[in-house]
Amino acid sequence: MNYHPINRRESIKKILKISGGLALTGIITWPYQKTISAWAGSNNKKFIIEGIGQSHEYSVKVLTRKVFEAAGGIQKFVSKQDVVVIKPNISWARSPDLAATTNPEVLEAVVELCQEAGAKKIRIADHTIHDARRCFAITGAGMVAKRTGADLVYPRSSLMRNMKLQGHRLDVWPVFVPLVEADKVINLPVAKVHSLSGLTLGMKNWIGAVGGRRSALHQDIHLTIVDLAQFFNPTITLIDATRIMVANGPSGGSSSDVAISNRLILSDDPVAADAKAAGLFNFRPQDIGFIHLGEKWGLGTYEFQKLLQHKVII
Amino acid sequence: MSQAFFLILFIYLLIESRLPQDIYLDYSIALNAEQNIELGYPVKYFFQLDPLIWITSLISGHQWIKGFGWALGVVVLTFFSGRIFCGFICPFGTLHHMVSYIRPALKKQNMVSANQKHPSQRFKYFLLILFLTAALFGLNLTGLLDPIAFFFRSLALAVFPGIGTGIKELLDIAAKSDMKILNYISYGGEVLISPVFGYGYEAFKAAWFMGILFLFILFLNRIRPRFWCRTLCPLGALLGVFARFSILRLEKDPEKCTDCNLCLQSCQGAASPVPGQKWDVSECMFCFNCFNACPENAIVFKWRWPKNVSKKPDMGRRAVLGGLLAGLSFPFLGRLDGRVHNVSDARLIRPPGSLPEKDFLKLCQRCGLCMKVCPTNVINPTLTEAGMAGFWTPNLIMIQGYCEYTCTLCSGVCPTGAIRNLSGKEKIETPVRIGSAYIDRGRCLPWSGNGPCIVCEEHCPTSPKAIRLRQETTRSPSGKAVNVKLPYVDLKNCVGCGICEYKCVVKGNPAIKVIAAGESRSVANQILLKL
Repeated sequence: MNYHPINRRESIKKILKISGGLALTGIITWPYQKTISAWAGSNNKKFIIEGIGQSHEYSVKVLTRKVFEAAGGIQKFVSKQDVVVIKPNISWARSPDLAATTNPEVLEAVVELCQEAGAKKIRIADHTIHDARRCFAITGAGMVAKRTGADLVYPRSSLMRNMKLQGHRLDVWPVFVPLVEADKVINLPVAKVHSLSGLTLGMKNWIGAVGGRRSALHQDIHLTIVDLAQFFNPTITLIDATRIMVANGPSGGSSSDVAISNRLILSDDPVAADAKAAGLFNFRPQDIGFIHLGEKWGLGTYEFQKLLQHKVII
Repeated sequence: MSQAFFLILFIYLLIESRLPQDIYLDYSIALNAEQNIELGYPVKYFFQLDPLIWITSLISGHQWIKGFGWALGVVVLTFFSGRIFCGFICPFGTLHHMVSYIRPALKKQNMVSANQKHPSQRFKYFLLILFLTAALFGLNLTGLLDPIAFFFRSLALAVFPGIGTGIKELLDIAAKSDMKILNYISYGGEVLISPVFGYGYEAFKAAWFMGILFLFILFLNRIRPRFWCRTLCPLGALLGVFARFSILRLEKDPEKCTDCNLCLQSCQGAASPVPGQKWDVSECMFCFNCFNACPENAIVFKWRWPKNVSKKPDMGRRAVLGGLLAGLSFPFLGRLDGRVHNVSDARLIRPPGSLPEKDFLKLCQRCGLCMKVCPTNVINPTLTEAGMAGFWTPNLIMIQGYCEYTCTLCSGVCPTGAIRNLSGKEKIETPVRIGSAYIDRGRCLPWSGNGPCIVCEEHCPTSPKAIRLRQETTRSPSGKAVNVKLPYVDLKNCVGCGICEYKCVVKGNPAIKVIAAGESRSVANQILLKL
């Protein structure tokens, strides 16, 4: 191959050709611009969907499905042959009724939906606080993995790798590798109170996706949460508020700490999802530090009323 | 064959003494820790097979411990057929047999003279009498040298973690590599080895010493075959005493004997198999080496009712008296540090469900099962915390792990019941306290004005939490007023689980620590007048 660098004249010619082509396209499509933007808008406008289980003994799994249907179906988010990683909150070795961890029925429904969408591989990954084996067993995540055939990733130290987060507060931090080696990431947090950050919701769930000195993150909790949320940037967030922990969080431990809320919140805007869930605890979204900062740094908006809103009631 | 079977079974059960990754609980019925996680394998089987553990626990603990029918069976077996346990079942014996058999250090005449009876063989009776007497006076030291406990402890706390550390370091190097293929090898390798060697870098205090002791005892086989079995093993000594009436006997035919000494050369127990000497039934490990070695068929094992009860076990008066004296002294010398009667070490935190210290020392075999099974690696063998009497007994070191709130694995595996069998529900609802936490304000981040931190409170597992926060103003090191949440310990709710100490950002010497004071098992160690 005889390789010759492009000289100045050629490059100018090329630039002119390309910009000319672009200008031409612009002129041709100009009359249709309105329709194009309308189409793009309906596709790009973020949404928030609230699922409410009102009937007595409603099925959490059915509610999960309905919520996804209202968003346009799981196919909108998960394509065939995708590697999907689901990040539930299964940090504590607590039984599901104590609301310290993501409802296994929600988890199971989401895994099944991804399977129906033709995902190549579905992984459930969380860097737990308690011993992972006990967490898998007691939270029900192990059972879900067994029933559905999804992979449950054991948070081994070798799966934590230093990565550049390029955050406002965090620069290089060990990250739980499966969560970045994925085509699609689904955030599946549980809603509960937290003594320092106020609430544990979707964005805070990402603390469970890193390794290293996690305890030290509490020294600047809100900003580190936002940094992590920006780095992981999930395809979609589904907040499990079927039952919420209203006291003694985030570990709970007693059924008296739990309130039944029968809600699921699905959004492609992580800040809006958290803002909506904050309302369940009678918090104003902007009062929660990380929600406020999330909007400030452009991760989304806490004014979820501005998004396409939809309600599913069964 | 049978030896291989039992050795493999032993090692298999040892490996299974851990929380597997593939445990599933049906979440639809999992309500508030009602479901207990238990191991699917009878990991304490070999301990229940061990008559020495059974008898000393019976003497010291004055109670029949469930599951020890097996040990009784072994005793009965010994009455009929000698130390067949040593030759066919004992996994530690099998290991010595193998080590002595493969490339023996001594050749021919040297081996013959090494296998002559030696007065040092009385030492095992000294140990046996020591352990029995000490048990009578309330100190069970058996596990220090009981073969099953010794073997389990050495493998579980030293050999396996040692190998595991080596492999894992290698895999971690591969995981850090930029080459994808090495990453995959590393992940795959970890998936393969983790079930056997643990999920992290396992650590046990002073396990290096156990490892060296283990290697040294293996090395002794090069001085005399099965050195441990014939000179040290107190279980062998006990079975030797029972073996006296064995009806499986070695019959010698001096007529056929050509004095070739092949039997002596192969006798790993130094039990005088050669015709012309009186057979030592108490030393014979029924390995049948001599029978196989004899070219003239001059020695055969036969079932025969003994006409005159054979040779008494050769204990020697010194071994007996020395054993009695030492056995009498040790329990009381052990109490001289005042830990049983006066005040215990603040760092001596026993696993949940442990009996009061005095009863604990009567039963604990220091076998290491609880340490092996603990999923957080918090349980370590003591060095000095429990004094001489409690050497190598379990102790929780909270900077290395923590006691998980709903977990009761250690209590489920304890073979002698030194750790009482608890259910998760009982542990939480009683609650079973193992100590209590206190805050070191000088080191604590918010207390010292160095910044916000609520990590201890966040992890506190009780409900309501034993660590509470109060919004207060402190001064930063530069004198500026800072408004932070300060942690306080509420002793009423604290169970001493130690997760606060483990997760504290101040490593090594955390700002919140757990001490034994307040532990349920000790009346004297309570803090509050009424809980």
